[in-house]
Amino acid sequence: MSDHLSRVRTALGLAAAIAVVGIGLVVPASGPAAAVPDARTEAGTAQRAASSAYSATKTLSRVFVDDQGVPVPQASYDVTVEADQTRNLRGRQRIRISWSGAQPSGGRAATPYGEKGLAQEYPVVIMQCRGVDDASLPLARQLRPETCWTASVAQRSQLLRSEGESTWRRDLYASEADKQALVGTAGLEADECPPLDVTSYNTVLTPFVTRDGTSYPACDIDSMPPEAAVDAAFPPAETAAYTDEDGNGSVSFEVRSDVENESLGCNDKVACSIVVIPIVGLSCQQQATPPTIDDLACRRLGQFPQGSSNAIGAGIDLAVGPGLWWSESNWRNRFTIPVTFGLPPDTCDVLDPRAPTGFYGTELLAQAGLQWSPAYCLNTSRFKFQLNQMSDVAGFRLMESGAGPAAVVSSQQDGGDTPVGYAPTAVTGFAIGYEVDRPKNAGELQNLRLNARLLAKLLSQSYLASDLGRGHPGIGDNPLAIMNDPEFIKLNPGLSDITQEAGATVLSLSNDSDVIHQLTEYIAQDKDATAFLKGTADPWGMRVNPSYKGIDVPRSEWPLLDTYIPETQNTCRKENPSVYFSQVAAPVTTLRKISDALLDAWPNVQTKCDLDAATLKYKVGRVDRQSYGSRFMLGVVSLGDAARYGIKTASLQTRKNKYVGPTDAALTRAVVLSAQKKPRLPFVLDQADVVRDGNAYPGTMVVYTAALLRGLDAETAAKVAQFVRVSTTEGQRRGSGNGQLPAGYLPIKKQGPTGKLFRSAQVVADAIEAQTPAPGPKGEDPAPPPPAAPSSDLPTSDPVVDAPVADAPPAAAPTAAPATVAPVLDVEAAPVAATASEKSGTAGRLLPLLLLAAIVGGLVRLGSRFFVRPPRSLS
Amino acid sequence: MVESHADAASTEVVPVVQPPTPRRQKARAPRAPRAPRPAPQGVGAVVATTSTMVTLVCVWAVLQLLVLSGVAHDREQALLYADFRVQLAETTAPLGPEIAAGAPVAILEIPAIGVEEVVVEGTASGDLLDGPGHLRGTPLPGQRGFSVVMGRAATYGAPFAHLGELRRGDDVEVLTSQGAKTLEVIGVRHEGDPVPAFDDPQAAVVTFVSAEGDGGWLSALTPQTTVYVDAVARESFPTPGGYGLTAPQAEQEMERDTAALPLLALWLALLVGLSVLVVLARQRWSAVLVWTVAGPAAISLAWVATDTGMRLLPNLL
Repeated sequence: MSDHLSRVRTALGLAAAIAVVGIGLVVPASGPAAAVPDARTEAGTAQRAASSAYSATKTLSRVFVDDQGVPVPQASYDVTVEADQTRNLRGRQRIRISWSGAQPSGGRAATPYGEKGLAQEYPVVIMQCRGVDDASLPLARQLRPETCWTASVAQRSQLLRSEGESTWRRDLYASEADKQALVGTAGLEADECPPLDVTSYNTVLTPFVTRDGTSYPACDIDSMPPEAAVDAAFPPAETAAYTDEDGNGSVSFEVRSDVENESLGCNDKVACSIVVIPIVGLSCQQQATPPTIDDLACRRLGQFPQGSSNAIGAGIDLAVGPGLWWSESNWRNRFTIPVTFGLPPDTCDVLDPRAPTGFYGTELLAQAGLQWSPAYCLNTSRFKFQLNQMSDVAGFRLMESGAGPAAVVSSQQDGGDTPVGYAPTAVTGFAIGYEVDRPKNAGELQNLRLNARLLAKLLSQSYLASDLGRGHPGIGDNPLAIMNDPEFIKLNPGLSDITQEAGATVLSLSNDSDVIHQLTEYIAQDKDATAFLKGTADPWGMRVNPSYKGIDVPRSEWPLLDTYIPETQNTCRKENPSVYFSQVAAPVTTLRKISDALLDAWPNVQTKCDLDAATLKYKVGRVDRQSYGSRFMLGVVSLGDAARYGIKTASLQTRKNKYVGPTDAALTRAVVLSAQKKPRLPFVLDQADVVRDGNAYPGTMVVYTAALLRGLDAETAAKVAQFVRVSTTEGQRRGSGNGQLPAGYLPIKKQGPTGKLFRSAQVVADAIEAQTPAPGPKGEDPAPPPPAAPSSDLPTSDPVVDAPVADAPPAAAPTAAPATVAPVLDVEAAPVAATASEKSGTAGRLLPLLLLAAIVGGLVRLGSRFFVRPPRSLS
Repeated sequence: MVESHADAASTEVVPVVQPPTPRRQKARAPRAPRAPRPAPQGVGAVVATTSTMVTLVCVWAVLQLLVLSGVAHDREQALLYADFRVQLAETTAPLGPEIAAGAPVAILEIPAIGVEEVVVEGTASGDLLDGPGHLRGTPLPGQRGFSVVMGRAATYGAPFAHLGELRRGDDVEVLTSQGAKTLEVIGVRHEGDPVPAFDDPQAAVVTFVSAEGDGGWLSALTPQTTVYVDAVARESFPTPGGYGLTAPQAEQEMERDTAALPLLALWLALLVGLSVLVVLARQRWSAVLVWTVAGPAAISLAWVATDTGMRLLPNLL
């Protein structure tokens, strides 16, 4: 018996040994490999990386000098740091920084950004600094700790530290001056800082020097630059990032231009750098005998095991923490990534006094327009191009009425009789952007998969969001949020199933947009999703919100239809009764706002209750930012924004078990599938074809420049034609420079699959310039005018929704006529649409029919009295 | 009561003129010799009964839609007016954006076509029974932006029957809790007419919507196409924040409100129940007695059933 047992034990031991070796073989291989396929492999990343990437390797070591004066190496690491793009950056753009070979971190904080990232051991400190790392330059242009941005005092200065905490005074590499009890206080006015000269306490200040030379001593919260104020408009970007147990790590680092942070002051003229300091611990000078408390503290190796968490922010060994990044031991280990910034968004307004020619329309073109416009305004032979963003249909109406020379739209619009040409200008699209963390600090989710029914569930507000939603009639048994939905869990296993209100919705647009139309078209082509919206329960018993049951898809505007107000004892909710699901969905007016919300992981869910202390009244507002490590947020974003800001994008289901993300190949495939019905009209992408094909991305959209083909004056026509020609040739070269095509757009080329778009664009450009309605105007009329427009019942209902909203499109038509002078009754001069009246046969026929029936009935009654009734019996 | 008459019920089916009272006998005396006609049988009976019922129903419906509903409308207006003037005096009248459907929101006067009505919130078919309705999701009339007011063209007082006769320059006066405002009519729009573009961001624009016939001799009774009238005031009252909700489908023009179906079924079931009761009662008591009791109930049931049925019909009728 015991023989048998021991044999089993041996066998188990052997198996375990093999498993360990096996894992050892597999893990190093999978570690770096896992970092490579990034869900953000947007159109263009690869090529951009080749031109502006950064890579460097350094040997970092930690040395303790023992009491005999002999240096003893403690640890040594060959660290390689890489960055994926460094040139022509824009404010808030996120760049990918990755490293390998670093000391694994311990004690991971809930949030690595700013002050909250300080309680970690062996992190990699990444921050943005002004200046160039070159000692030969004048001091003002040099990179120094004083020009590195941090959002809090604790990240810069050590104030009144006792002996056991003053490890920097034992720094092997620091100069004698830097090891004094008071460092950085020279030249301070007496009233600037609280008293710091206290016996047996030590202080180091690392002042911040702004671009214009002002020095902020950073000794308390009032002596910091204005952008570092508590709850500043932008959350801290500098981070103490976590290295995994294999020594690898990566972050998306958000850079700030002088628009976001004027004190730091990075722009196209002021050189800046990103400094990466892998913390390996302080190197310590010769130890005293017996060793002082400082000596011992300097030699500490950390309290937290590798890979552990420190969610409660417990104390750490300062010698291996990020707080002393400025000490010479750490500072000398820096990697400096020089970056350059692109022209600011207002370049054209500043440098070009000419009046701009505004094109009106879709936000999908925003990122391209940002890079294209300097190529026009800085070239005197071209006109001054300006892109004004608004809904597709509003832009089209402006163009039709002559208020705008051209519209940028992404589908055919219903219009009047004047023929309109559509010139393909850019291939891009939309995506479902997400910010999702895997549980247990396993990092960000790199590949999210969604299908049409999940999107239908999110849009139709069929998740309950929280217990408040359970009382909703008809759907009380539905999952609370998408993370609790078995269908979602099946597609994306291994995610946390802790419910968050933000998981019940996808942040979307409140107004009319071609993006919404295409998104709902994707839902409409899917049998399961359509059945769900019509009321069929999904296989797990989830039902559609009755308010959205039978909603017509596709549609270009997604309404808020729910009316359920929860019954609750909560005082705040009783004082502010409101439609709960609408507060959860809270759609916004522009795609950019959705991108910003995703960047900050700050859902637009408006369900947070606050008590206003002054009035003792409750108010309802936006929930807090999500904390790092448990973020979950979805939003509809444009591919341009996703690529610019490093927002990860979900793969959408096409065929069964086939999920397609917005890659170059998938966009190209969709272009191949799209077809043009008539010359000068848009190419139509049928979602049924996309699904049948399987490899095309459903969110692919082509942006067109639409302009009138009749009645445009020659000057305007020439401008529009020039724009079409330049943007389809010069504007299709990929890159981050002026006039180039940013990531997130697929270049239109003369040859290949996009050739048909190019040829169509040239034909339309010629037609716009010529302004001759060549064949008969009727036959060429591109707009088949269906009088019953799909969703706009009332022609005036578009302004109805927009007008009272505070952030209506800024540069809309009203510029044409100054509001103060325009006599109101002259408004008929600029009709924008034709009245489409509703007809109802019932209403028209009801009363006559009732009258007729009454008369006929009466006649029959009379007749029956005389003819049908048997005669009176003659008694 | 039922038990006390149990014997009577078991004896015989009582003919119509069976229990002769002295007074009735005197009245009927000259006609007495004529024997009653025998009841019709077979197809004849069916035709006679059906035509009677059809005639009754249709005559009632026409009567209520064209005449009685006007009375109901006038009564509702009187109540709403009393209600609203108190709210105006107390400055508790609603400002938007979220107002309960059916609440009075404004007083509307269009002297040119003799309209003087209290506007209620909501434009579903049921809301417009009381008077013109304000489309939810749009600012109140007189506030900055684009508001929409709908009204019936043929029934329930037909407040907007003559909307199409307005001319450019006619005055429209609205009174809300923010004050009185006079708007100027820009013009009437039919199918295909250009929608005016409003440049002035300070303007208050009200679009009145109703229906009209095709111009034939029954035009007033056949409101089948929507007609729009735009009126504008250059200066406006401020609009409170929070707009953006779209009104439900049932509140768009020419839409019907299918939510009324269950209620209608209830009223019809009660009508059927009443008929059964009448038939049963007639076997015991005289027609005069039965109809005296059942008549008011039948009329009120028919009234509410028609009112409810009206909600299933297009809202601008």
